[in-house]
Formats: sequence, C-alpha cells, structure tokens
Amino acid sequence: MRRWIIPVAGSLLILLLVGAGAVAAGWLPVGRDTVHGSVIDPPLPIPDATLTGAGGDARQLSDFRGKVVAIYFGYTYCPDVCPTTLAALARAKQALGKRGDDVQVVMITVDPERDTPEITQEYVSRFDPTFVGLGGDVARIRQVATGMGVYFEKQQRGSAGGYLVDHTATVLVLDRNGDLRLMLPYGLTAEQIADDLRWVLKQ
Amino acid sequence: MARAGLLYSAILVVTVVIVALAAFRPIRVLPRIAPAPGFALTDQEGQRLTSEDLRGKIVLYDFTYLSCPSPCARTTEVMRQVQERLAREPAAEPEVRLITISFDPERDSPAALRAAAEAAGADPARWRFATGAPELMKLIVGAGFNVFYERNPDGSFRFDPTLVLVDGWGIVRAEYRVGPPPAEQIVNDIRLVANEARRSRGPARLAYEATHLFVCNVR
Repeated sequence: MRRWIIPVAGSLLILLLVGAGAVAAGWLPVGRDTVHGSVIDPPLPIPDATLTGAGGDARQLSDFRGKVVAIYFGYTYCPDVCPTTLAALARAKQALGKRGDDVQVVMITVDPERDTPEITQEYVSRFDPTFVGLGGDVARIRQVATGMGVYFEKQQRGSAGGYLVDHTATVLVLDRNGDLRLMLPYGLTAEQIADDLRWVLKQ
Repeated sequence: MARAGLLYSAILVVTVVIVALAAFRPIRVLPRIAPAPGFALTDQEGQRLTSEDLRGKIVLYDFTYLSCPSPCARTTEVMRQVQERLAREPAAEPEVRLITISFDPERDSPAALRAAAEAAGADPARWRFATGAPELMKLIVGAGFNVFYERNPDGSFRFDPTLVLVDGWGIVRAEYRVGPPPAEQIVNDIRLVANEARRSRGPARLAYEATHLFVCNVR
C-alpha cells in the first residue's frame, strides 16, 4: 500500500524543486518585476538583413548576435519622437552599468534619401558613442521594417526643413540569439526600458 | 512521522494546484505568434489606413481579390458573421476592427472596394476594405501575414484563404488557415485577447504571463 507513495512523492518533490529552481533562476515571471513591453513567446527568428554602415560597409543584423540588440527605426530630421526615444535608450543603457556593454542599440533610418549611413551614424553617436546607425536602399529597409511590424511613409505635408516621415515608433529587442523577444511601445521611461533590457539579458 | 505528514500534505497541495491549473484553466491565452507587418494602405473611401491607426485595437484580417469566383465568398461570409455577432454584444474594450485586404490593387480601386464592402454588408465604422501599392503587397500580405498568393496567367489568383487575428500591440495571436473556421470560434478568440488586454494589469499580469509559459493552457 505504502510502496507506491514513495516514488510518487519523490517525483512530485523533484517537480517542486525544479519549479522553485526555475523561479529562483528567473525563468518564471514570479517574484520579478513585470515586463513593460510585450514579450514575444517563443522568441521569433527574423530573417537576416544586410544594411549599410557608416563607411559603406555591409552590416548584417546577425553581426550583433551575442548581444541584446534594441532596434529603432527613425530618421535624423525627426522632430520629437526619435530624439526622445534615443535619449531614453541611452539613459537605460547607462543605468545597466557594466551589463549595458551587452546591449547594442541600432537605429535604422527610414529616410535614406536624406540620411546617408554616415549622417545616421553621426546622429546616433550624439546620444551614445556605442550606438550604431544603419542605412541602405529604401526597398531593403522597407523589407526589414515591414517584417518587424514597422511601417513608414514619406509625408507631403512639410516642415520648415522639407518633408516628414511617418513611422512606427516601437523599439524591437532581439535576444542574444538574434530572435525577436520584446516590443517596447513609444513612451516608456528610461527606467522601464532598463528593467525590460535587464530581463532580456537574463534570458 | 508528523514531519512526514506535513511533507505529504504540502505535496498534496502543490499537486492539487497543478492539476487544477491544467484541468480548469482559470486563465486562457492565445499564443503570441509573430509581429504583424507594418503597412500603409488605402481603404474603400480613399482614406489612409496604416498599422499605426490600428494600434490598441484588436483586428481580424482576411485576404482576397474582388474578381474572385465563389470560393472567396466563404471567408467574406465568416467576416460578416463575426461583424454581426460583435454588433450584438455590448461595445467591447479594446475595440475590434475587421479589415479585408485585397492583393490585387491594379484592379481593385477604392470604388470597387466600396462596392464589395456594401455587397458584403460591411458597417464602415467596423469593417474596412483596403489595398496598397502593387509593389508592396507581396511584402505585406505574403511575407508579413504569411499568406500565399500567386497570379495565374489568366489574371485570377491561387491563394490560401486565411484569417489572421492581431492584438492591440500589433502581434499576431491566431491564424485560421484550414478552411474558414466558425465565426463562433473567432469571436471566442477575440474575447480571450480582449480579456487579456483588459485584465492583464498589476498582479493579474503575472498570472497571465505565467500562463503564456504553459503550452497546455493555450486555448
């Protein structure tokens, strides 16, 4: 009668220990800060894309594998949304301290007509010298953007400096394997972004 | 002996909780499949319709071309039934939109889209018909929504009739690919996504995120 209890209880105990271990290791969302962005689960492999870096060299998204990559689609004439987001990303990276070295922020221009890769790089460097700015031809950029749920479109209504470009302001976070893991809406604070990046770094 | 009793009751409690979670499914979620593509289309009134306009709303998409013979009518009929069921319910939060995308922009002008919308009984506030620049349709519909279509030499299309449900984040939560599913099932799925969007706050969010980890609780 008692003989079956021990293996059953033993295996349940093991299950319990594994569960507790998983919680302790941060695999389960128990006892940890809620993620502010939206988690893609399971992480979504995205097709690799070749874009152009400053200096005209071909850069692939897979070049950044091993780091957590925060991708932002913006442009240098962008009046408000882009500078706000890039400044928040820069502060979030600083807040991570040493662990911030494992985070790579990449801005891909949605206005390649005016933003050469050099201009894009120079622009993002002003926010943080480690940020990378990428450009390329518009068809290639649109392909990458569309697949990540990002749309952009040149607007006819102009500002003083010419035209504006409407674009999705979401930040996309790839995990160390280069898979899409997290989407951050526009408007998160630097602290919230830092929390979310910390979570992806732990994965 | 008392200690052993305590241990066994602890194990019993944990077991009951696990079994209850698996059996009663107090929280159900749809998986987060992939980001839906970003797009800028033109609708039946000639208005811009972008993926950003739909942020914060739950959207059911279907894909077609208007000169399609009868088989296409089946997904349109499902869309119509979903619209009807949603109209009968009290206004949902977040709002739900239906979008029919034509992958034949050369022939499907806004006027043709408007005629098709009227024929389908579409309520313009809820259900819009749209198409976009010809060179972008393959990127949006084919690569983005993962819907196969190909033009035949006679101008008709071969394609996989598909409906796609996208949440307010722009993330695909359900794909219906094998024949048109019953409207009932889609409306239930919409409810699940809406409930999650409404209730997934504070401590409840932890429970929802935990549920996403258990495959057995997915629908």
